[in-house]
Amino acid sequence: MRSKWISRIFGIGATALVTLYAQETPLDQSSIKINLPSDAPIALVSANMGGSNAQSRGSATVLDLHMSLTFQNTTGNTIRGVTLLVVAQEVTPGGKGGVTLPAPLNVEPGQSFTMAVETQLMRPGRTNGGPLVQVDLDGVLFKDLHFYGKNRLDSKRALTAYEMEAQRDRQYYKQVLAEKGPGGLQQEMLVTIAREVSRPRINVAVRRHSGPAVSSAAVSGSEHLAQFAFLNFPDAPVEPIRGSAQISGNEARTPDIEIRNKTHNPIRYAEIGWIVRDPRGAEYLAASVPASGPSELYLPPGRSARVLQDSSLRFTGKSGEPVPISGMTAFVSQVEFENGKIWVPDRKSLQNLQLLRVLAPSTQEQWLMDLYKTKGLKALVEELNKF
Amino acid sequence: MKHPGEATLALYAGQDLGPLARWRTRRHLARCARCREEVAEFSALRTEMSDLAELPGISWNRLAAEMKANIHLGLAAGECVRDMRTTTQSVFSMFRAAVAVASVTVLLAAGLLLERPAPVPVTMVAAQPGISLQPTRYGVELRNGHQAFVLKNSPAVDYKDVTYSAGAQGSIGARFVDRSTGYVTINTVYAQ
Repeated sequence: MRSKWISRIFGIGATALVTLYAQETPLDQSSIKINLPSDAPIALVSANMGGSNAQSRGSATVLDLHMSLTFQNTTGNTIRGVTLLVVAQEVTPGGKGGVTLPAPLNVEPGQSFTMAVETQLMRPGRTNGGPLVQVDLDGVLFKDLHFYGKNRLDSKRALTAYEMEAQRDRQYYKQVLAEKGPGGLQQEMLVTIAREVSRPRINVAVRRHSGPAVSSAAVSGSEHLAQFAFLNFPDAPVEPIRGSAQISGNEARTPDIEIRNKTHNPIRYAEIGWIVRDPRGAEYLAASVPASGPSELYLPPGRSARVLQDSSLRFTGKSGEPVPISGMTAFVSQVEFENGKIWVPDRKSLQNLQLLRVLAPSTQEQWLMDLYKTKGLKALVEELNKF
Repeated sequence: MKHPGEATLALYAGQDLGPLARWRTRRHLARCARCREEVAEFSALRTEMSDLAELPGISWNRLAAEMKANIHLGLAAGECVRDMRTTTQSVFSMFRAAVAVASVTVLLAAGLLLERPAPVPVTMVAAQPGISLQPTRYGVELRNGHQAFVLKNSPAVDYKDVTYSAGAQGSIGARFVDRSTGYVTINTVYAQ
């Protein structure tokens, strides 16, 4: 009986204490700064920050910023992609974020669209007031592939590549519909969904640093140099020649790949897809390795260059268990020519090399799959018949 | 007229409903052409799915077997937990008061030490040198010592429906269809 009363008193005290400290401080619009140039092709219609708050947590402050930004296309051209740059310089020096709406986005002149920006920041000490997050317009891609923006996140290339992949896959499903009808399209969509469900997944943590790779405690093994095997697309503008990476258990470091320009046009960007294989033979798409970083790549016709990134990647399974690496394969996944034209692998090449089972669906495929799952075959057919 | 849900109709089409639900659904179908049509579509879809089992490269039967095995495993685990509860119930009642007091004391101490509970995704970990990026259940997290920056996925999106991709130059992206806006959205965090 006595212990019951003691526990009640403790309970009331604890609840009161926790309630006292659990108070959240709401954050208003002064916590963010949205920068849109005066000549921007989109105008901010509204900015909603409902539910944003700051919480004390030990000696740190955790800030939750929920932004719902509605923009309007103020041009006479259809928008096919938008990227916002999100920076919290005071909180994370050296880090920045990008929020992108890629193709199949299709915003006609005068239409509005909404972008949700959900950020969470943790910093030592208390907030001092003033903007915590700055949002800039990094780029807008139009239907005619014209681009507007500061391009600090390399949005022009990324948005154009999404557009090329979207066109490729839209064309593919349109062709299936034309040749096999709605029943054939449905079957193809079910195959795509099944492939996505059974696609092997791996968690990849990235660390940028110099020094030796640190092996996971759970997987031991000395660091060694492993060679890449290559998958070659006949029509790829560049050809991988040789490549290697330092491997230690479930960690890979410093991928180094040599590529050669097979075309008569200079190339300013190339990206390599990096597939890793575990000891059971399961293959996962680990990462993309860009051939240009802070410094621009310039690869004249017939010349070769090295794709080198000083970073380490750590692989874990869905329960956090380390996934050791027993083999690596690479393929050319994207090329940008000096004139701004982008090459991406065609559907047939991806199918021939059995890459579709490893690669994530394109943005267009993801959109069509979602449309089929949520609205059914009729909506999918209507969407493909739009343009 | 209240119509059965899509899941009920799908289960009916597959003859997977329990006796009572099956009887109720059958009664409804007898007087609802729209739902009959939906059941017919589900039945047709099932036939096509069984055809797909013949397609090369997709081991539907293996997937089904794995799923069944997981369900059996879950049921077996549930049985184990239930058995443990039964045996420990009487022991627990003997120490109820002591455990209650101890729990509240721990709560109080935790409240004093941590100032407040934290139902937030960011986890407190020991500071590590360098900038690290990792996908989490909630989005992509960049950590630099005790500072963290997270671009979160839409709350309306299931974690399983998010596609993560890493860039060896120091970036991780999360791609999903945002239910709140209706668009494919890609959140990318860069470490520089």
